Amino acid sequence: MSTAPVTSTTVIRTAAKAKRARSRRPMLLALEIGVPVLLLLAWWFGSLNSTDPFFPPLRDIVAEFQRLWLFDKFASDVLPSIGNFVLAYLIACAIGISLGILLGLSKPLFWILDPIVQFVRSIPAVALLPIFIATMGFGNEVRVFAIALASIFPVLISTIDGVRAAEPLLLETARVYRLTRWERLRDIYIPAASPQIFAGALVSLQVAFIVMITSEMMGAARGIGALTLLAQGSFDVKGMWAGIVLLGILGYLANLVFTLVRRRALAWYLGAQKAASAD
Amino acid sequence: MKPSRRTGRIAAAPILFGALGIVLLLVAWQWGSTRVTSEGALPAIPIVAQALGGLFAEGAFWTDVLLTLGIALLGWAIAAVVGVALGVLVGTSDIVFSATRVVLEFLRPIPAIVILPLAMLVLGPTGEMGVFLVVFGVMLPIAAQTAAGVESIDPVMRNTARSFGMKSGEILWRVILPGASPFIGTAMRVAAPVTLIMAVVAGMLGGAPGIGSALTVAQSSGRSDLIFAYVVVLGVLGLLVQAAAGRTERRLLHWHSSYRKGN
Amino acid sequence: MTNTQLVVEHLSKSYSVKGADVQIIADLTFDVAAGEIVSIVGPSGIGKTTLLKCLTGLQSITSGSARIDGKPIDGPPEEMALVFQEYTRSLMPWLTVEKNVRLPLKHLRLPKSEADERVRAALASVGLSQAVDRFPWQLSGGMQQRVAIARALAYRPEVLVMDEPFASVDAQTRFELEDLCLKIRDEFGMTIMLVTHDIDESVYLSDRVVVLGHRPAIVTRIVDIDLPEPRDQISTRAMHEFAELRTEIFELIRAGAIPAQPVQGK
Repeated sequence: MSTAPVTSTTVIRTAAKAKRARSRRPMLLALEIGVPVLLLLAWWFGSLNSTDPFFPPLRDIVAEFQRLWLFDKFASDVLPSIGNFVLAYLIACAIGISLGILLGLSKPLFWILDPIVQFVRSIPAVALLPIFIATMGFGNEVRVFAIALASIFPVLISTIDGVRAAEPLLLETARVYRLTRWERLRDIYIPAASPQIFAGALVSLQVAFIVMITSEMMGAARGIGALTLLAQGSFDVKGMWAGIVLLGILGYLANLVFTLVRRRALAWYLGAQKAASAD
Repeated sequence: MKPSRRTGRIAAAPILFGALGIVLLLVAWQWGSTRVTSEGALPAIPIVAQALGGLFAEGAFWTDVLLTLGIALLGWAIAAVVGVALGVLVGTSDIVFSATRVVLEFLRPIPAIVILPLAMLVLGPTGEMGVFLVVFGVMLPIAAQTAAGVESIDPVMRNTARSFGMKSGEILWRVILPGASPFIGTAMRVAAPVTLIMAVVAGMLGGAPGIGSALTVAQSSGRSDLIFAYVVVLGVLGLLVQAAAGRTERRLLHWHSSYRKGN
Repeated sequence: MTNTQLVVEHLSKSYSVKGADVQIIADLTFDVAAGEIVSIVGPSGIGKTTLLKCLTGLQSITSGSARIDGKPIDGPPEEMALVFQEYTRSLMPWLTVEKNVRLPLKHLRLPKSEADERVRAALASVGLSQAVDRFPWQLSGGMQQRVAIARALAYRPEVLVMDEPFASVDAQTRFELEDLCLKIRDEFGMTIMLVTHDIDESVYLSDRVVVLGHRPAIVTRIVDIDLPEPRDQISTRAMHEFAELRTEIFELIRAGAIPAQPVQGK
């Protein structure tokens, strides 16, 4: 087993450490589950008799949540919000990725558009909304358009980066085997850029969410954001909380769906990364 | 051979094309402003320039700029301190990691804007509300990245430090923070534009002082020339913020060996 | 029976570095007959990889000519396949081994059954039938190189060009792959051109060895290898003539070696 005394003490010490680690695992698991549950319970019971105007009892919030969103206002407010968000995000991704591929492949086109892209992307996304409101009013189509435009930039830029960073040897291999331009695009550039594209798409997701909510709060009659702000303005604190909780859940779900899609699409990438870091 | 001229020409191409792009945009803008008929919806360039000039002359404008930048910066700094502290705790202690894991995983993807109504209610249309929103917006991503950075430190380094009798405080300062600094630097840089967005949102929706609320005022009074002027200003601020953040990242990475020259 | 497939005449290649021209290859003239195995050897850094890239149409020739089957080479010829030296970066990380090998066949639009058969046969000949559904990053360096070779084999080129294909494979596998080269040539009549550092390998495999030397590179000599066929790892290498040929080539390389200094272009 071991030879010199030094190695044997190391073996003993690492074995002891492993044993300690193993015995800690159930406690850690208990913490993972227990702490959130405890926090929720603490909030529930702690706020049961609250008369604080800003922090009503959790029980009342839950009741209001159910009253509003399930399913009274579901069709009239929740669905439109989600619908606008998803539609705008998909448009942003479609345009961002296509344009990103174009700009990544064509140096002259990139040079022409880059200064503009760099400037517009530095503008805080929500600040573009007043321009839309002032010039085009705020119908639904305009809102979707505004959200899409604001969220294009992260995915656009990361697509450009991903396309440009495609491993040159892969492209030479494609040339050796005489793949056509379209085949190169579909089979090499896009898969090679996909980790970057996903990274940008995640940021675009978050931007789209923020802009969607802001656009509703800025002057809309319908939508979760609109209702929530309305509630806040009329001191309907429980309604406001119900809105906040719903928005939080939606934000979490959007992220979750994205992560799951990413895990499927980038399975090869995640595996390769794990293999690389294992050295 | 004419080496320098050839390379000179190649280097100038991006700049020339870029200038061409800007010119095309300005031309399109000007042309568009003459075509769009609804009153001043797309104001002509000279009109926007005039509004800009007017702003620069106003003291209130500069106050707004400083307020917005100040809110963003203060929020960024607070988020950094709290976020890094939290991240170090999560990264170094199994117990803290497990206890906070579910809560953080749930809170992290939620954009700060969802608590804007609450913040408005409790703190009112104030600068503090803006700072609060900014902190909420960037604290958790910074913490998450810091934790990742701490976890990326080779345990051998930590054990070596401990075997040299270094105390926890010293290990923190000399081993953990420098080791995690690339991650922290990146997180700070990525967070910078978000601080500006949050500061502006706090103004636009919550009435916090700064460019955000000025922009909303311009919008509700239909002054599209001012709207465009403010948007341009925000774009410039955005560029400045990004440049400053890039600098900060480089400073922080100064600690990390892979960033030293010769790599 | 021998018809010239590849003709290289006074080929030269220069690069432009910071505006100045640096000549890598001065004047190369040689030809390769169909079904021949030709090795290209020479000191390190002499430009063997550059030569291969010129011959496979990946880089342009500055002056002189290279022709395959009479047609000038000005882009990757359909009849050629190249196995790169840096194999790890030439395999698509998002494709399994099987899909990587299949990649060039998609473009050829073969009926599925034939494509399947080619992929299966190619992987079998490099000994990787078990690894069909693995990803490149799950394989060792030597295995990845074999996938790259299998990919070229599945393509069934007329001319197979390889850049130090066996450099990072263990000795046992190397012998197997060398014999695989001989087998491919015999079975398919494939012409094989390979760059190698291993002089023994060049003598074992080739019909002729092109020795490059000096800077910028020229052909020092073309050595005929008339060892008997079929070649055998043990008996051929034990032959007296083998050692003589090896010595001759080694001395040629040494004579044409470049001094180790950075070269200033003019």
